[in-house]
Amino acid sequence: MNEFVEQFLIESRELVGQAIDDLLALEENPSDRERLDSAFRAFHTLKGAAGIVDFAAMARTLHAAEDILAAIRSSEDLIATNVLEECLACLDLTSRWLDEMQTSGEAPTNAGSEADDMIARLVGAPDADERENTPLPGNEGWLERAREVAGQHFDGPRTAVRYVPDPEAFLQGSDPMAIVAALPQLLKIEIALTNSAVSLDSMDTFSCGIEIIALLGAPAVDVRAALTSVPGRTEIHELSPLIVTQAENDFQSKAISLLEAQLLLLRGAGVGGIPSHVASAGRTAVNALVVLGKSEPAKNVERATARAQAEHSAIPLIKAIEQALAVGGPNNREEQDASSQIQAPRALRVDMNRIDALVKLTGELVVLKNAIGHAARLSSENKESALSATLREQHTLFDRLATELQAAVLRIRVLPLRTVFRRFPRLVREISGTVGKTVRLVTEGEGTEADTAIVDALFEPLLHILRNAVDHGIESPERRAAAGKPAMGTVILRGRRDADSVVIEVEDDGGGIDLTRVRSIAAERGIAELAVLEAMTDNEAADLIFAPGFSTAAAVTDLSGRGIGMNAVRTAVERLGGRVEVQTQSGAGTTIALYMPFSLMVTRVMTVEVAGQVFGLLSIPS
Amino acid sequence: MTDVVKKRILIVDDAALVRTYYRSALEERGFEVEEALNGLEGLEKILLRAFDLVIVDINMPQMDGITFLRILRAKELPVSALPVLVTSTEAGPQDMATARSAGANHYLVKPIKQDALADYAAIFCGLRR
Repeated sequence: MNEFVEQFLIESRELVGQAIDDLLALEENPSDRERLDSAFRAFHTLKGAAGIVDFAAMARTLHAAEDILAAIRSSEDLIATNVLEECLACLDLTSRWLDEMQTSGEAPTNAGSEADDMIARLVGAPDADERENTPLPGNEGWLERAREVAGQHFDGPRTAVRYVPDPEAFLQGSDPMAIVAALPQLLKIEIALTNSAVSLDSMDTFSCGIEIIALLGAPAVDVRAALTSVPGRTEIHELSPLIVTQAENDFQSKAISLLEAQLLLLRGAGVGGIPSHVASAGRTAVNALVVLGKSEPAKNVERATARAQAEHSAIPLIKAIEQALAVGGPNNREEQDASSQIQAPRALRVDMNRIDALVKLTGELVVLKNAIGHAARLSSENKESALSATLREQHTLFDRLATELQAAVLRIRVLPLRTVFRRFPRLVREISGTVGKTVRLVTEGEGTEADTAIVDALFEPLLHILRNAVDHGIESPERRAAAGKPAMGTVILRGRRDADSVVIEVEDDGGGIDLTRVRSIAAERGIAELAVLEAMTDNEAADLIFAPGFSTAAAVTDLSGRGIGMNAVRTAVERLGGRVEVQTQSGAGTTIALYMPFSLMVTRVMTVEVAGQVFGLLSIPS
Repeated sequence: MTDVVKKRILIVDDAALVRTYYRSALEERGFEVEEALNGLEGLEKILLRAFDLVIVDINMPQMDGITFLRILRAKELPVSALPVLVTSTEAGPQDMATARSAGANHYLVKPIKQDALADYAAIFCGLRR
């Protein structure tokens, strides 16, 4: 990286100079938008430069300043004097770092804590939670080291903790190690003497002379909760990834991610497909497939690109790329060898049909196993004791192995709900934007697993339910205010496992379903007689929204009032062997729950014995 | 790389350091590299010469990367099909969605390691490592 440091220093100094000029000009004339843009860009470019030379502390600091300028830029507000001062202070600090870097050739070692202080200044006074974070004396740069351990890319929360127990801890009857052991999600721990110079002979064994630095995979709130018994002895910092997790792995997975990116581009281009999008995506996909050694799929994609262009539709190309992604492994041996030198993939892409064949064979094995069990029972009835005992014994073993095999095979087809859930936050944001509501989508239990076929088929029904929740469930901001609710509506998308079912719930905190209206609409549309409707319980009435030909939209919006309604949802769910339930409470919200089978490959059978013969009755979803 | 004709890549970024950083990564892998300082200059360059890939920043003076993409993709010319890799410090899903709907073939968040960038460039051009 050294080769860039020199240029980094030159360019960064120029940028700092530029930013200072701009900020001073803004002080004279706060309404000068051009100067504001220029200052913003200087901070932005500085941040990018810091990233290139791996100067994380500088990048973080400038990022905080950039955020503030970006907020002002996108509002009509004038830049406040104190903000100008903080930004200038940030540039002062940056120049000082650049000076130190000039002499040493490396990023200054104490930059981490200086960055933390500066960011705290920029973001504002620390809140109550952070107050205990007044740095404890000694061990400078521990946080920066913890950040290094955590790395720049990680999923989920990371919290760094420094805990210096009271020297009198032992005498007070508190046990620092027990406290540490109770910390949530411990990833790494370092224990050091507070005074490493002390010799073993002169050490006071009754005083606690250690400090503990730990990296945890839990949010700061949880960590703080675990450390309430030792106030003033801890520093707690939740780390944020400097950049989003990105596939930095091997060459092949980059090629696959590039293919997937083309799908995203094409799907976003609409049904017609923008010609230049189709052409560029086709070209990129062909090249990525060539790199992957998939010459046959590459040719298919090339043909599909031509077809997509001729038909003015992105669909042939989307299909061809999806197919290419689904087909496992490189094409021939020679190519396989070449690519295995690049790096062996940790996951295997296997054609779905092959897995289904495996599932089917396993199913037959399980049936056969049951037949042997039956034979074992018969033979014991016939008192062929020696043989029957062996048979029963072997059957028990066979039973266990076959059941395990079946479970293992079914797990191949399993995907976490995350794969479908992660598409919704953006869509919900878009939908709520178009109807002028602010809605927060919370997802829970996205790690819950379900059969691939079910996970894939859930997207449409869930999208429909979420649309309904945002469009009809969540009230307008005015009505929410009148009802004393926060302006921002909340929709929870939750997955959980319930015995053999996977339950997916969409819960909103809206106004609930207007059951009086539901009854009158049902009567109007001839779904049921008025007398029947009036006799219905509220739950039964709510269920009417799933009836064919029902639509509650008071105004047909371009979002959900398409006349298909919730009936389509129920049909789709039942086709997969699931059922759907609704619970609603006036003024408090609605929950729609989909109960899906965990696997499509296991069928429940009712057995009946008639005249000594056993029959199995399948329950086939209508 | 044994190709007789080198693959040509255009870097569009207002930050000189970023351009140098990308250039050194790409030249090391045998690519021919040209630079442009903003979207407008980028458009001029791609009309003058044929490129295999454009790597473009979003936030630039005069013409940003999104506008560059929209103008490039608006036409039905051969040059409109040019693969474009967007690199930006913006990591928000909205930024990525905007770039994609403007026609970006991929989006990488800065800072990007030199190796990773060169890998992607190679894949874009159909070259094995």
